[in-house]
Amino acid sequence: MVQVNSDRLTVRLKFRKTGSLQYVSHLDLVRTMHKIIIRAKLPLYYSEGFNPKPKMVFAAPLSIGTESLAEFMDLRLSEYVDPTLVMERLNSNMTSEMQITEAYYPTAKFTDLKWMTYSISIKTAGACLEYAHKCRDILLSDSVEVTKNTKSGEKSVDIRSLIKSVASDFDGEYMTLRAVLSADQSAFLNPELIIKVLREKAGILADPDLTREYYSIMRISAHNGDMTEFR
Amino acid sequence: MQNKNISSVLKSVQKPGRYIGGEYNSVIKSKEAVKCRFAFCFPDTYEIGMSNLGVRILYDVINRDPDVWCERVYAPWTDMKEKMEQYDIPLAAVESGDPLTDFDMVAFSLQYELCYTTALAMLKMAGIPIYSRDRTEDTPIVIGGGPCVYNAEPVADFFDLINVGEGEEVLLEICHLYNEMRDNGTYKRAAFLREASHIEGVYIPSLYEVSYNDDGTIREYKPLYEDVPKKVRKRIVSDLDKAPYPEKLVMPYIETVHDRIVLEVYRGCIRGCRFCQAGMVYRPIREKSPETLCKQAKCLFDNSGYDEISLISLSISDYSELPRLTDDLLSWTDPARVSLSLPSLRIDSFSEELMQKVSSVRTGGITFAPEAGTQRLRDVINKNVSEEDLMRSVGIAFRGGKSNVKLYFMNGLPTETMEDIEGISQLASKVISEYFKLPKPQRPRGIGVTISVACFVPKPFTPFQWEKQDSLESLEEKQKHLKEVITDRRIKYNYHDSRVSRIEAVLARGDRRLAPAIALAVEEGAMLDAWDEFFDYDRWVSVMERCGVDPDFYTTRGFGLDEVLPWDIIDIGVTKAFLLRERERAYEGKTTPSCAEKCSGCGANKLGGKNRWCK
Ligand code: SF4
Repeated sequence: MVQVNSDRLTVRLKFRKTGSLQYVSHLDLVRTMHKIIIRAKLPLYYSEGFNPKPKMVFAAPLSIGTESLAEFMDLRLSEYVDPTLVMERLNSNMTSEMQITEAYYPTAKFTDLKWMTYSISIKTAGACLEYAHKCRDILLSDSVEVTKNTKSGEKSVDIRSLIKSVASDFDGEYMTLRAVLSADQSAFLNPELIIKVLREKAGILADPDLTREYYSIMRISAHNGDMTEFR
Repeated sequence: MQNKNISSVLKSVQKPGRYIGGEYNSVIKSKEAVKCRFAFCFPDTYEIGMSNLGVRILYDVINRDPDVWCERVYAPWTDMKEKMEQYDIPLAAVESGDPLTDFDMVAFSLQYELCYTTALAMLKMAGIPIYSRDRTEDTPIVIGGGPCVYNAEPVADFFDLINVGEGEEVLLEICHLYNEMRDNGTYKRAAFLREASHIEGVYIPSLYEVSYNDDGTIREYKPLYEDVPKKVRKRIVSDLDKAPYPEKLVMPYIETVHDRIVLEVYRGCIRGCRFCQAGMVYRPIREKSPETLCKQAKCLFDNSGYDEISLISLSISDYSELPRLTDDLLSWTDPARVSLSLPSLRIDSFSEELMQKVSSVRTGGITFAPEAGTQRLRDVINKNVSEEDLMRSVGIAFRGGKSNVKLYFMNGLPTETMEDIEGISQLASKVISEYFKLPKPQRPRGIGVTISVACFVPKPFTPFQWEKQDSLESLEEKQKHLKEVITDRRIKYNYHDSRVSRIEAVLARGDRRLAPAIALAVEEGAMLDAWDEFFDYDRWVSVMERCGVDPDFYTTRGFGLDEVLPWDIIDIGVTKAFLLRERERAYEGKTTPSCAEKCSGCGANKLGGKNRWCK
């Protein structure tokens, strides 16, 4: 994506994708966004070639089952439209579960995005503050091994270096872990793996009855390498 | 997605996006503010149901009424069904997440016979008794509609009310009657159904008594009361230019089967293919004007953001104003980067021009449906496609750079012999020769012909409704023979499972005595039968045997010309006399001109309907 934006045709959109939209895959989100932009009657820039495609670039795709308050998309237009107007037009063509919260000309590259903060809420048997702290300590111990399914079969990997910090809390029903995880394009950590680690090492969500146990993940914010806010 | 219970299991099922709802343009009303809650159920998956044009139209029509809230319901996939059973989650509507038992009406669109088991399984998952007779005052009214209900008898015992014909007007009249009776305190289930039976296009199965002869054939249908009509006439919308058409589409988040704008160009068909039920039951033909169509297309584009418009009808080439329509559409679709697709387009000089004019016109590949391998048999079935037509068309396609041709046929047609079967292979070979007639530089690369052969099911309300269905042995022998005579490796041959067609025939041609067998199949887990992986022939044979149903009675036996047919209770406009005439002509090998050439007096004109042909 062009980052030199002197033509002011590339607009960065920060948006949220919450509620039931956590079950919409990234691929489906891209298709959906395309239709939203057409509905919004924005002058889209199309790539050249046999099968012209609009230019939409997303940062750090979200996996199914994670909500987010910090999604980013760069949209290339074919003519100048004020970013606020872009935001308004798009928002009136979306449902409340997906809304643009900011629109601006980007200065940072998506490759500058290094960390993401997630809020992971867990309702499980025996949940309490000590249990939450124990989960935190497991994630912050010297090594955090987890089995990953790769193409060449199961493999044990250490994800410790991809975890920057974890804070733990308990509200009487849910244990909440606020975790800063790597979002680097070459070392992206899927927060579902945190759940996996805690299932294996802390015994959370062991009750097979899904109505008694539950967890949710929300992406809260994005950061540069020095933990300043990514924009 | 409002249903909290479902949200906890969504993380553990495939494609959770099927169940979430909350789509842009879906209709949310306040349940306190409406008088009637209407659940529109599609007995198949979300991806298929969301693509159905009938559902899109009726969802829109019903929701235009401020007193009624129409919501959608789809069949869950088996993994979700298991979870719902495990956690006692009843089947719910997509919009509100409320269980079906909260609704006043629960309507099913019955698109193919093999969806019957899914519909009943959905009722069970909703906690609604499957038999009409077991429902009480506070259970919703269960409605059936769609193309299958031209013979609804096999499932008649499961539905309180059946909507025969087009639903745009009837469904609203039903809701209005319901609201009125609720308002003035006269509502009782039985009284409502009795009153509804007076609405044209409404069939209340429980208001008829069916008796049978000793040989198992039907003796008569007797209305229980004087005021109940002896025959139920199908309803049609007479002027499609004036009929409501959706201005907005519910936009799915996940990819669906027909994920695009679908523009219905006309209803009915001027052809009279003798095996085709749609060609008879949707008569008379009613066209929309190009102005109406362009307006509808533009409006849907603005409100949806789809970049593809599909023009659909039974045979799009027969639309009398096709050149004007495509010109008008292309004038704005091309600049807007919207592509047009014309799936049932006949390849002729017009379409050649069209294909060349704009690259954005998609013809959906090159497919032809000669249906039979020889001219003799094509005359018998009144399929007016000649070999020359076909060769000319494939020639155009080849010159246009397309090299894959798909040909559709049917096996087991009346009067069919092995010669006709061999004709299928010969026709495919001729298509290949046609390719080699082109000078080498003009040939597109990689010629391939795919032959797809379905098994003939004699459908109600066709000139072939009395015919025998070929036995499984005979169908399989023909399939085998065809396989043997095709030696060219450039010809690919697919055929349908004859056992599926046999069960389809039983369900399409059956009467009320089938109900226990269908109920038993559902009891034993049948659902999503239209999916190969769930269709279980042995289960069907077994449940029929245990319920005393002989499948041969409805298939290989054939029906006598003077026999009372299960579907005689319905009047589709087209008369039995016409169907009989057509049957005779079939056996004489005589074709019948299309409605555009000459009216053959089928009887459908008495239904009204604005068109240029009916006399
Ligand atoms: S009445 Fe005549 S023109 Fe009309 S549908 Fe029947 S055959 Fe065709």
